[in-house]
Amino acid sequence: MKRLSGPIGVAPVGEVPETPLKVIAAHISGYLNLNAEVIAPIETPSHAFDKNRFQYDAGKILSHFESMRFPEFEKIVAVFSDDLFIPIFSHVFGEARLGGRYALVSLFRLNKQPDGSVSPQAMIYERAAKVALHEIGHLFRLAHCDDNHCLMHFTGGLQSLDEISLYFCRYCSTYFQDALPLA
Amino acid sequence: MDDRMQIMIVDDEMIIRESFQHWFEKGGHMVDTAASGFEALEKLEKYPFDLLFVDIKMPGMDGIELLEKVKTEYPDTIVIIITAYGSIESAVKAMKLGAMDYLMKPFKPDQLNLTMEKIIQQKKLVSEFSYLKGRLEKITRFDNIIGQSPEMEAIFTLIPQVADSESSILLIGETGTGKELIAKAIHAKSKRVHFPFIPINCGALPDSLLESELFGHRKGAFTGATQARKGFLEVVGGGTLFLDEIGEISRKMQVDLLRVLEEKKITRIGDSLPMDVDFRLISATSKNLEEQIDAGTFREDFYYRINVIKIHIPPLRQRKNDIPLLVEHFLEKYSHETTKHVDHVTRDAMNILESYEWPGNVRELGNAIERAVVLSESRTLGVKDFTFLGVTPAPTTGVRSLREMEKVHIRIMLEECGWNVTKAAKVLGINRVTLHKKINRFQLKRKP
Repeated sequence: MKRLSGPIGVAPVGEVPETPLKVIAAHISGYLNLNAEVIAPIETPSHAFDKNRFQYDAGKILSHFESMRFPEFEKIVAVFSDDLFIPIFSHVFGEARLGGRYALVSLFRLNKQPDGSVSPQAMIYERAAKVALHEIGHLFRLAHCDDNHCLMHFTGGLQSLDEISLYFCRYCSTYFQDALPLA
Repeated sequence: MDDRMQIMIVDDEMIIRESFQHWFEKGGHMVDTAASGFEALEKLEKYPFDLLFVDIKMPGMDGIELLEKVKTEYPDTIVIIITAYGSIESAVKAMKLGAMDYLMKPFKPDQLNLTMEKIIQQKKLVSEFSYLKGRLEKITRFDNIIGQSPEMEAIFTLIPQVADSESSILLIGETGTGKELIAKAIHAKSKRVHFPFIPINCGALPDSLLESELFGHRKGAFTGATQARKGFLEVVGGGTLFLDEIGEISRKMQVDLLRVLEEKKITRIGDSLPMDVDFRLISATSKNLEEQIDAGTFREDFYYRINVIKIHIPPLRQRKNDIPLLVEHFLEKYSHETTKHVDHVTRDAMNILESYEWPGNVRELGNAIERAVVLSESRTLGVKDFTFLGVTPAPTTGVRSLREMEKVHIRIMLEECGWNVTKAAKVLGINRVTLHKKINRFQLKRKP
């Protein structure tokens, strides 16, 4: 098994319930076979708030985080209760740059069902974990995958998010293993 | 088919360009950006793009203007228009002008994904269509004979008319004019199409070998004839025999062929029993056979036998208006063969191609384009790609003033004369002092 130089840090940004953080960390350990731990909260970067859209600009947050130091962690997954967007999209569930150090996950839109009712908690946690694992894939330079069931398949809505699995397809799995640095 | 695409984002807002770029890079696409329509056109001239996302509102050249230019110059490039809320009218106009779709900012992630799926589907269909179209064209058209000049149009009209007759045809034209292609086209349009088309270059074979090739031989007919062999006149059975460079065959062979044409019978070398043959003869020559008749090297009776229908194929220098069409054809052919996306030629480079005399005709033009495509580092071939032809670019007319034309012409003459002012003045037919004055006035300087 390859080992990273440090664990993956799962950090709440602002007020985030503890359970989804623990679920995300457990999924990183269980599905990606990487050490992960929940770490102290990060302050919400207020300048990234867009007053017209009432959402946080994920691009600005990522740029802000890149200037921060977390030397003991290999990568950071920052979890928000707030809604995130990138300028071209109405919203995003998560955001990360290819080969970057920070992945963002927003819980804001994960609690709805297609019919408007509230989703069961277990489903919300599973969705949050999928978004986190997908974004971690991008941090290790994995691109979107054509396989509809692969974790790296692009999902723009909850329905497609529910349809993908928690696993990489065999190609993405190989790419992911190859991308992991040797400790 | 690989779904990865070459994408350009054209938007004056950096934040939008970056947003798109990051998203498409995560999809494994190759992404470039342009902050204006002008920058986008510059990049399009250099590199091929499958897909453009164009913001409708941009200073200078707006998205609609860019779309119009792209659809004129690069019709295969797919354009998606990005609009803000409230500019639906422009979006509709864009769709009418050829945009494939429009997206209203900010859009749901699924919307972009759906649009991309649609584009990929469209690309697959287009590529399947062009493959099938190519296959169909190969079957039905006058294979690779390109031309729209009146001379070529006349030949295209003639081909189906003569195809069904049994008369012998003589094609006259310089080397590289496409005589064999026309012979193939005649064969393809004739009722003999399901039988062989056999081309023989008479100039490439010595007389004895040509005789054996045409008539065949029985085992032991001559030294080395270890096996009986059918000749092409037998093998062609029902098809078309194309004898290229017929002016090169000996008088003896002319007599033998004349007899075959009259009797429709051949006798294998070393055999005594004649056998019936059925073929249609198309001959070709780049020589003046009438002069050869006068010189006594070509038989008059054979000439009249092979020359029932005469088709003269004009050299390329006499149908220069076909050059752009041929260039387009060869660009497509060699871009495909070399997998390099080179699909444009600058006006100046086209001027060079049109002013060159092309002694090797269409074949030479094809070779020149192939060489330029192979060595080109850009999608557009320019003057420097054709310097090997040794043609000085003629100044482009219609876009320059008389003064500019004079300046360009003087510079060309000076360069041709190695900046020897006395020599250049003589060529230009002006006084040396006058030339010096003009050089100063136009501030012409020798390139280091």
